[in-house]
Amino acid sequence: MVFRSTRRTFLKGSVGASAMLLGAPAFLRGAAAQDNDLAPYTSAKIDWKQASGESITVAVIPASYFDNLISIAPQFQELTGINVRFEKIPPAQIRQKCVIDLTSKTGTYATHAADPMYYALYAANKWAEPLDRYLNDASLTDKAWFNFDDIIPAWRGADSVDGKLYGIPYDGEVTIQVYRKDLYEAKGLKPADNLEAFVANAAALNDPGNRIWGAALRGVAGAGQNMYIYPSIFREFGGEWFKGGKLTVNGPEAEAALTWYVDLMRKYAPAAAQNWNWPDIADAFSQGTIGAYIDAHSSASVVNNADKSKVIGKVAYARWPKGPSGKRVTSIWNWGFPINAALPDKRKKATWLFIQWAASAETQARTSYKFAGPAKRSGVNRTSVWKDPAYIKLMSSFGNNFVEAAMDSLQHDTDVDWRPRVPQWPAIGDTMATAIQSALAGQATVKAALDDAQKRIEPMMKG
Amino acid sequence: MSTGSGTSMDAPAFISSMDAGRVLARRERRFASALLAPAFAALLATTTFPLLYLIWTSTFRIDLAMPFTNGFIGIDNYRDLLADSRFWSSLSVSMIYTISTVVLQVAIGLGLALFVMGMKKGQGLFRLIAILPVVLSPAVVGMVWRTFMLQPEFGIVDFLSINAGLGSQNWLGDPTLAMISVIVIHTWQWTPFAFMVLLASLAALPDDIYEAARIDRASAWQRFRRITLPLLRPAIVMVVIMRTMVALTAFAAIFTVTGGGPGTATEILNLYAYRKSFTELSIGYGSALAVALLVVTIIISAALFAVRRAK
Repeated sequence: MVFRSTRRTFLKGSVGASAMLLGAPAFLRGAAAQDNDLAPYTSAKIDWKQASGESITVAVIPASYFDNLISIAPQFQELTGINVRFEKIPPAQIRQKCVIDLTSKTGTYATHAADPMYYALYAANKWAEPLDRYLNDASLTDKAWFNFDDIIPAWRGADSVDGKLYGIPYDGEVTIQVYRKDLYEAKGLKPADNLEAFVANAAALNDPGNRIWGAALRGVAGAGQNMYIYPSIFREFGGEWFKGGKLTVNGPEAEAALTWYVDLMRKYAPAAAQNWNWPDIADAFSQGTIGAYIDAHSSASVVNNADKSKVIGKVAYARWPKGPSGKRVTSIWNWGFPINAALPDKRKKATWLFIQWAASAETQARTSYKFAGPAKRSGVNRTSVWKDPAYIKLMSSFGNNFVEAAMDSLQHDTDVDWRPRVPQWPAIGDTMATAIQSALAGQATVKAALDDAQKRIEPMMKG
Repeated sequence: MSTGSGTSMDAPAFISSMDAGRVLARRERRFASALLAPAFAALLATTTFPLLYLIWTSTFRIDLAMPFTNGFIGIDNYRDLLADSRFWSSLSVSMIYTISTVVLQVAIGLGLALFVMGMKKGQGLFRLIAILPVVLSPAVVGMVWRTFMLQPEFGIVDFLSINAGLGSQNWLGDPTLAMISVIVIHTWQWTPFAFMVLLASLAALPDDIYEAARIDRASAWQRFRRITLPLLRPAIVMVVIMRTMVALTAFAAIFTVTGGGPGTATEILNLYAYRKSFTELSIGYGSALAVALLVVTIIISAALFAVRRAK
């Protein structure tokens, strides 16, 4: 086990280092069999060559779903004559780096993989272009071909601020229950339909003496870590971020939600899970030490990784358990592409062409089930692809009920008010993350932690 | 300067020697300033200007989340700061962290230095091994401790703790243990520095005093208390000053190991300023916190320098 964690550490470190070195697009040698016919693109009634000769830089995170895009980017260059340079920045730094670029108006990144929670901030500072203009310009977009309405509605909503669109979703995820079918069957358990049942299942499986823990959720502090999983619980307990127009993070619903989370983590999760993010949870689950977890559906590719996982064939999926309010609330996370407002006009057009290409149904398919490499994307942005039999076949290999759970969650469990969408989000997210962790660590009681967070958040909201 | 002095020597006799001296001194000053100017300008541009800019920034409200509220607010950031309980708690975390790491470094470093002085063989090898942690980047040290040493169930420290009958502990998840952990990590990395400095000073102590003490049949403890410590005092004070300044402004290791958590249990002032500025995007208030840290560091260093001069 010690050895495994060495490798993980090494990988984490090397990802950071390689991000610095990786300037030029990485070409995948194995992608020789890749479909590279440009006809599906040239059928669009726009001039793809209109910004030929421009060069743009795109910041993405090191993840297989962007690697696939990078590996077929030469097709985009051939189609448009636009040079694309990718820069890989680890998720922990990409927000800050891009905010610094935007605020200094240097225009370094024409577009970047954007956190949907940041669009309100971008809009407030006019750092990103409103995209409706590009979408409705017939010389730039063939509306029938691009079929914007095909993109998952919750993600489009998440990338809009006050009805104005600021980013085009490229890849996204829903949070679902992932559980050990074999362990559940041995104890006669069913996947949890409500939060109480989830705790009861965890209690039934929990056996630390034999290195099995009942469940795990993200524990490490961070706006994108514990504050990624807690908002779903808060909403399921009937929490409202804006009570009477005022951002409220404490109160009875919040206390009930945080108590549920803290109890589950303290009683049925490994102690180390307090510092875990999703890759750590998926790794532990792969080693067979966790009975169930709730996290992004994309983690299924980790727990089904033939090189590392010991639980292949023993995994099944279900939607979020219902909360006391009767709601199931999944994340509406997606990585979208905005346009940097500091760019000259022609480069903005080039950037839009890139975004249109990346978000198009054809590119989505070519980076997913049509992709020649081993890691095929599971977070495609379009309903039509989600319903494509070839895609469903690919997804079904992840285990029982995967496609159904993910699709139902996408269609029924998404909630645009999952997290408070205000420009102050970075500060609010960080404050809440600290509060949740201090309650979990026992530094403060649940009520004291939430009341303190409320006290800190109020002045942030005052103009 | 030879030509300069040559000309003043050849000056007509009615220029008094005093005038000649003054001309000489003026020329010398001018030449000195010419030599100094580039370095001085570079220093101004890279340290003084950013510092003044920081202070200037700290008098503004610069909140990227609410750009419409930005503007000059005078000392309001400082008024908020004095009423901010998290500022005071991070300041006290900084103090606990600094005092305990510095005391531990000096105590352990001195112990090691005395031990190694007594070694007949292997001094060189010991020194080489001891210096290794110092050359590592604090961020690397943090990652190694976080994953290799302190991970519950899998880490080396936890393994030792289980075998010692203390059971598995959540080293970075418990507020007190997390604080102890970051103190141990800093001490582990920087004790060799204190050790090397004190060892060098020990080696330079005159033998004859010890000989005289032995003839007077002073015990080992008496020799240490009455001779070694007083003679080492300047070196110890210097180590304390240098390590205090570094500990007050520590960042990388804590940032990678706990990120200030769990909750705010290990959030030193430096980390709080960073989070305010770059995570919460409240640049003005973050700058005020950075200025506060600077003031605290200056006050403590001045006090320590005063102690150094006292005897």
